[in-house]
Amino acid sequence: MNIYIVKRIFTMLLTIWAIATLTFIIMKCIPGDPFASDSRALPEEVLQNVRAKYNLDKPVPVQYALYMKDMLSFDLGVSLNSETRTVNEIIKQGAPVSAIIGLQAMIIAAIFGVILGSVSALNHRKFIDYFATTIAIIGISIPNFILAPFLIKYFAVDMPLFPVARWGTWMHSVLPSIALAVTPLAIIARFMRSSMLEVLKQDYIMTANSKGLSKYKIVWSHGIRNAILPVVSFIGPLFASLITGTFVIEQIFAIPGIGRYFVESVFNRDYPVIMGTTIFFSAVLVFVLFIIDMSYRLIDPRIKLTSEGDGK
Amino acid sequence: MKKKSTALVVLLFSILLLAACSSGEDSKKESQNDQSITVNVMTEPPSLDPALATDNKSGWILDHLFEGLYMRDKDGQPVLGAAEDVDISEDRTVYTFTIRDDAKWADGSPLTAGDFEYAWKRVLNPETGSKMAFYLYYIKNAKAYNNGEVEADEVGVEAKDDKTLVVELDSPVGYFEEMLTFWSYYPVKQDAVEKDKNWSANADTYVGNGPFSLAKWKHDDSVLVEKNDEYFASDEVTLKEIEFAMVDDANTYQQMFNAGEFDMIMEIPSSMIETMKDDDRLKTEPYFGTYMYMFNVEKEPFTNAKIRRAFAMSLNREELTKYITKAGEEPAFAMIPPGVTTDSGDFRDGAEPYFEENAAQAKVLLEEGMKEEGWNTLPTVELIYNTDENHKSIAEAVQEMIRKNLDVEVKLLNQEWKTFLDTTAQGNYQIARLGWTGIVLDPVVMLDAYLGDSPDNETNWLNEDFDRLIEEAKVESDLEKRIKMLHEAESILMQEMPFIPVYYYSKTYLTQDRIEDVAYYRNIYPNLKWVKVK
Repeated sequence: MNIYIVKRIFTMLLTIWAIATLTFIIMKCIPGDPFASDSRALPEEVLQNVRAKYNLDKPVPVQYALYMKDMLSFDLGVSLNSETRTVNEIIKQGAPVSAIIGLQAMIIAAIFGVILGSVSALNHRKFIDYFATTIAIIGISIPNFILAPFLIKYFAVDMPLFPVARWGTWMHSVLPSIALAVTPLAIIARFMRSSMLEVLKQDYIMTANSKGLSKYKIVWSHGIRNAILPVVSFIGPLFASLITGTFVIEQIFAIPGIGRYFVESVFNRDYPVIMGTTIFFSAVLVFVLFIIDMSYRLIDPRIKLTSEGDGK
Repeated sequence: MKKKSTALVVLLFSILLLAACSSGEDSKKESQNDQSITVNVMTEPPSLDPALATDNKSGWILDHLFEGLYMRDKDGQPVLGAAEDVDISEDRTVYTFTIRDDAKWADGSPLTAGDFEYAWKRVLNPETGSKMAFYLYYIKNAKAYNNGEVEADEVGVEAKDDKTLVVELDSPVGYFEEMLTFWSYYPVKQDAVEKDKNWSANADTYVGNGPFSLAKWKHDDSVLVEKNDEYFASDEVTLKEIEFAMVDDANTYQQMFNAGEFDMIMEIPSSMIETMKDDDRLKTEPYFGTYMYMFNVEKEPFTNAKIRRAFAMSLNREELTKYITKAGEEPAFAMIPPGVTTDSGDFRDGAEPYFEENAAQAKVLLEEGMKEEGWNTLPTVELIYNTDENHKSIAEAVQEMIRKNLDVEVKLLNQEWKTFLDTTAQGNYQIARLGWTGIVLDPVVMLDAYLGDSPDNETNWLNEDFDRLIEEAKVESDLEKRIKMLHEAESILMQEMPFIPVYYYSKTYLTQDRIEDVAYYRNIYPNLKWVKVK
């Protein structure tokens, strides 16, 4: 078990390094200059000074080496667009905000998704099933940039229950969390439904039935627990992407999260921010996947965490 | 069991409702607070360091936190700011400023001539890597220092004593006073800058000398400034606080304005402009900039001036501004927008129209041009623009007008912003969209985009007479003569037409009735220094 974890951590670091390297190469290949702007073209001498300041005048392999060196000491550099902010600061300030929204959305999506999916499976081909499936399909097909303004219009303007936008109290986080949760909720519900249908056909459910266990007990301790496994493996990457922020939701609700930097840094060719956000996301992703793998053990004791070496 | 859970749900729901109601009341109370307003700056200002800021939005906040030797009055005219007096040499190359006795930093320490010298040399220091350094190149040896050729003390700015600043220019600059209102020329406080490299990113370490001082900067959320009592004209300032909020989504800030959460928003979407046409809260202000399409004059068919002219004549600008852009833009028939005041009125009024829209004549001109080049059919024409809904609608309308009036099929292509800049910089285009604005209200800053050696001139167009006239106008100290030369230069440009002018920009604002005395300017965002809440 311990060796497994050590090996796992090593692979995680290797993955992050590989992603960082690939991103660096791809980023340098896209055309466009971070210092090209909409107003005046900068005179050559000014550009030289600016490039020298950020080591962009050096050959690309040297830039790569310098970047990797800083990365090892957890220094992700300074944003080229916002020259007085470091990438570390941008992540430190934005990530917690995004994480709150993402976490709330995830909780809403997981709870209601599992309930909705289970309920429709238990009422297979009945009205409730069709109703829940329709809701799920609507949830998947409405993009959140449509849903978010809709929520604002009805729940912040016409019926002012919540603030229109911006960040502050927990009230501000309600609408964005809901807007963000709808699509994953629907997806989880669909997954859960088919997985549950599969489980309900199993022999042990029949056994439980014939033992005379109550329906709730069967569904809870035999049904959901088994059916949720495939959903959990799907939740991992979803969770990672939700807690690292979403451009559209943060833009519409004016939330000071990290999501916008994933998109805007590419538009601005803000190299250190592109690198920083990518590394941050991949770190969160591999960590979440690691946690998910660990959690399988808790959900399903049949799964043992062993590496090949351990087995011998 | 069941009853209990129902009760719990009811309880939770009522807590939620209560919380909603109480928070609603809070925000209303806040907005009624005397003399504090919330405006929308839309996005995080990239930098509030006067040496590093490059964009209008940072500039907007900076204009409230600092004040240069000159500042703008309510009408936008440059008037003395931190300087109480100026002595200009006869050849207009040496300016001797006397700093006001009551000029102070927000921390109460005196503002000295040395602060200006330090700040300007900091902008020019190659290590600062300031992108705006070239705006200071008018100063003697400034460019050489920025290039690392001479030492800092050879730059033509020197504090003779705490109150006297001597500035030496390479040659007279007609708009230097206005230039001095620009943020790159603001002073910075040496102690503050040297103590903390990131002094400008936090309110605690930030020191300015303007009508307001930085109170709080919540990154990606808002910048809060409050009245600076040390400011020498603080009795002119009524506002206690301005919050610059960062809400980027047009639908959202429009809803927030309607809900009374914002006192001022800008860049009003055209759908909203239409519904608010008769509302006096909507303001449309002319902006010193020109929307245009530039030609690559080395790519056929635009190697021919007559063909270029034919394209320019085939548009219907009235229709474009009235039905497509809708924000009160003015059709453009030249390079320089209205707004340049000369001794004989507006620069625009002093010039004859350079061309007119006429579909029939355009068609004739196109045929003449093709004959000159010996073409039976016109080579295919492609127009590129950067990806954006507004640019797209304009380009599509233009495509249709050219199809109808010239019977020419124009292909449209859009590219993501930085890719687009790269493409045009390399000259890989035939027609490309371009917007050009001037940081000072002077014809030179518009026209010099088309100088043969300007890095901004991506058309490959070069005209020696034009270049000579601009260079001469730049150093001409007789203002009347200077304007005449600039008219002549513009006329050469419009004869040759390396570009099609489409419209002069405008800016749209929505302000609540409760605030008054916003000073709208033609080339920067409005100043809120004199604003009062009724």
